Amino acid sequence: MSTPTHLTRAISVIAHVDHGKTTLSDRLLEYTGTVAPRDMVEQVLDQLDLERERGITIKAQAVRMLYKADDGNTYQINLIDTPGHVDFSYEVSRALAACDGAILVVDASQGIEAQTLANVHQALDHHLKIIPVVNKIDLPQGNPELVREEIEKVIGLPAESVIFASARKGIGTKEILEAVVREVPAPTGDSNAPLQALIFDAKFDAYRGVVTYIRVLEGTLRTGMRIQMMQTGNSFEVDEVGIFRPDRTPVDDLSAGEVGYLIANIRNVRDSRVGDTVTDATRPAAAPLPGYRHVTPMVFAGLFPTDTEQYQQLKEALEKLQLNDAALVYEPETSAALGFGFRCGFLGLLHMEIVQERLEREFNLTLLGTAPTVEYRVKLRDGTEIPVDNPDKLPDPGEIEAISEPMVIATIVVPSTYVGNMMELSQERRGQFLNMEYEPGDRVVITYRMPLAEIIHDYYDQLKSRSKGYASLDYEMVGFEEANLVKLDVLVAGSPVDALSMIVDRSKAQQQGRRLAEKLKTLIPRQLFEVPIQAAIGGKIVARETVPAMRKDVTAKCYGGDVTRKRKLLEKQKEGKKRLKRVGNVEIPQEAFMAVLSLD
Amino acid sequence: MERIHSLYLHVPFCTWVCKYCDFNAYAVLDGLIPPYVDALAREIDAAADSLPIGPIETIFIGGGTPSLLTIDQLRFLMDHVRSIGLAAGAEVTMEANPSNVTSKNVAGWLEAGVNRLSIGVQSLRPDALRFLERLHSGSDAMAAIRTSRTGGLANVNADLLYGVPGVNLAGWLETLDAVLAEGVQHLSAYELTVESQTRLGQEVRTGLVQMPDADDQLEQYWAAVERLEAAGYGHYEISNWSRPGFACRHNLAAWHYEPYLGCGAGAHSMFRRNDGSTERRWNVKGPHAYIKQASVSGHPVSGSETLSPERASGEAAMIGVRLLDGTAAARDFPVQRTQLVEAGLLAEQDGDVRLTRRGIELANQVGATFLV
Repeated sequence: MSTPTHLTRAISVIAHVDHGKTTLSDRLLEYTGTVAPRDMVEQVLDQLDLERERGITIKAQAVRMLYKADDGNTYQINLIDTPGHVDFSYEVSRALAACDGAILVVDASQGIEAQTLANVHQALDHHLKIIPVVNKIDLPQGNPELVREEIEKVIGLPAESVIFASARKGIGTKEILEAVVREVPAPTGDSNAPLQALIFDAKFDAYRGVVTYIRVLEGTLRTGMRIQMMQTGNSFEVDEVGIFRPDRTPVDDLSAGEVGYLIANIRNVRDSRVGDTVTDATRPAAAPLPGYRHVTPMVFAGLFPTDTEQYQQLKEALEKLQLNDAALVYEPETSAALGFGFRCGFLGLLHMEIVQERLEREFNLTLLGTAPTVEYRVKLRDGTEIPVDNPDKLPDPGEIEAISEPMVIATIVVPSTYVGNMMELSQERRGQFLNMEYEPGDRVVITYRMPLAEIIHDYYDQLKSRSKGYASLDYEMVGFEEANLVKLDVLVAGSPVDALSMIVDRSKAQQQGRRLAEKLKTLIPRQLFEVPIQAAIGGKIVARETVPAMRKDVTAKCYGGDVTRKRKLLEKQKEGKKRLKRVGNVEIPQEAFMAVLSLD
Repeated sequence: MERIHSLYLHVPFCTWVCKYCDFNAYAVLDGLIPPYVDALAREIDAAADSLPIGPIETIFIGGGTPSLLTIDQLRFLMDHVRSIGLAAGAEVTMEANPSNVTSKNVAGWLEAGVNRLSIGVQSLRPDALRFLERLHSGSDAMAAIRTSRTGGLANVNADLLYGVPGVNLAGWLETLDAVLAEGVQHLSAYELTVESQTRLGQEVRTGLVQMPDADDQLEQYWAAVERLEAAGYGHYEISNWSRPGFACRHNLAAWHYEPYLGCGAGAHSMFRRNDGSTERRWNVKGPHAYIKQASVSGHPVSGSETLSPERASGEAAMIGVRLLDGTAAARDFPVQRTQLVEAGLLAEQDGDVRLTRRGIELANQVGATFLV
């Protein structure tokens, strides 16, 4: 079973979302006989139901394949599947750090996109050997030749190294595997050195505790060993080490270069942080592996049970989910409008959506999520600085010296026809133009420095719609910058609804207030009475709309069978109302709280 | 189980099924009437053997068009009802299509025991009758009311529809005034309701027909309320008015949440159990299936549901609140009651509550409040 180090490979597949990364992984598993065709389900490596449904990868996965190459040797290829979405870019970075090579998948019809570039840059940062693959060459609208040229010009990989493939049809699979064993370097670690294993993922198993996904870079990891996490300092005794084929299979040890998992009675993923280094507690390595970063949430939102009696259940659900999701943070929050809930921090909007969906689905809760915001840093007149992740908690303007907001560098890749639209949109969103480069294949790479808050407010959807779907986006955090911001409040039926407050650019505040009021008017259903909606800045009303009262709701006949029918109808309507949150006398639907996200 | 004193008999046959109708009614199944009547009698007999029923205080023969029954068929059914026990002074209502109201029929109906007639007038305007696909004319309907009265029926109801496309406020009041002038004891005015399963529903969906808006409908409703009050009719339920003492006892019993037995295709029954729970059951809908099942077992029930005492009192309140003289049924819901009073939908009255004007317009919202 054990493979000599020089026949071991560790690779990752990187691609822009939807370019066929997971399908290609499926083909590799199939071709190497790791998964029998009869056990093949689409997206083998995506284990969460949500991943299969949405066709996305949320958690990194690993699998060991054995491949008998043309040179007669049998190679052990460790494949690490990575999440494709920008929210999870840190997880991608750690997965890449655990590899020696990467298969870069580019869609033959889409060409290079923003995340292709971001992934390539990351792979190069980790000194990975890149094997370029043009996928979906069977699609009639594809232009593989052009994409190959693009790869050479934009990324700098020789055109002749590009492999043409169709993961769906199984074309090119063998060529890719041959390139992997030929091109990707064997690991260089020493199995006798002090242990250094990189954690690239962790998941919680209800029976076994945390399963830590690792790659051993130096030394050997054995069952029974006492290990220490070098960042957190905690130590554990290893119950089991194993490999993925693709199910967990125990082995005696994992030596330098190998990818697998360890189970050590760890109760919380927080003790097994992605990026941390596992070492031998009795013979520790001199230093941890580089690149560890404490994962910090980027966007914040309140989650409230629509039924106040579900508060305790929500609390327990969050605790359980956090066992499996180290990036999720939360703390209790009380809203005058929404009652008791939690302020949660997420990696991004997709992460937020996924958490809310998992809480509702897996724990049978009905939740109301408030609009996400970024975390502001507020400098007070007394010299102190406080973080504010909830617009309602913004101190009184009189106490504020300055507000800073998180900034990102946004990279947009788009066909040249849409450059004007992209620039217009980014300008509207307070973007500072940085750079623009024309690439072959009529492709333009534009970079902007802009507030993260603008990105989470519908920027991506706008980008897509103003480029007929062609633009792609990637962004990275670059620190905080002072800005002229004010709080916009919303009053519904005369009472302020804290959960609808938002922090906006002063110059756009009035316009935003008007749009928000207009939008809320369309989203708040008619009630028994007229409902005024007002937007206010610093106590001054800047916009007013009115939801007219419900005019009529009466059944003409109520005899015999009508009664049952009517009762069932009313019961159904009542059930639907559970999705509404009662704020004072007014019932407000979830969509209203998200209205602030799309005011254009 | 609470003793049953009300009986509903369903006759699902019509000469023509009007396009707005979503009742359990079938056109021109004439050949089916004799076996249907037999099956109905069989069901009445079987119910009498298995349920605490009688003496019967109210009977309502509805449809469909029960006036399509021959006098013999009607008499045959009434004989079976009498075997359960018919109280002296019981109210026996039958629905009739104006075309069937001849002096000969009126005499036969009276002789069979019918003492209240509900005539489907709907409208007197030719354009409205054509739109509604009624096969009688306005003058047929007026003649029917007159014939019933002269024939000796002292308790006559006219069913009218308002909110009919093409009929404005003046047109509606013209119909209403003419019918009132004819001297009916009871009047039901229903808003023309679009049910999605009907042909009218389809016409509205496809844009072929445009219904009046809520403001126009309410304008016609409140104008009728005013006229009827001025003419001395008491407004006792959202869509029902009567001369003093002529409220429909059968419907009042149901609205007061008293149990009733429904026999016939698709008929619903409501039983009250001693623990406060309610059982609702309903018969198979199709006449063929009904005849088959009722003839074999006498029990053509196709489904039922039992409401817990809590849900039952919610349902009682939902229905009871439609009675405009006030209802005690909301007593079990002090919190909701207070809310609704504060919202201006209910008004306190002698310790009970009744719908306000706004409450009538939003009666479903009020009713839903009591459902748990």
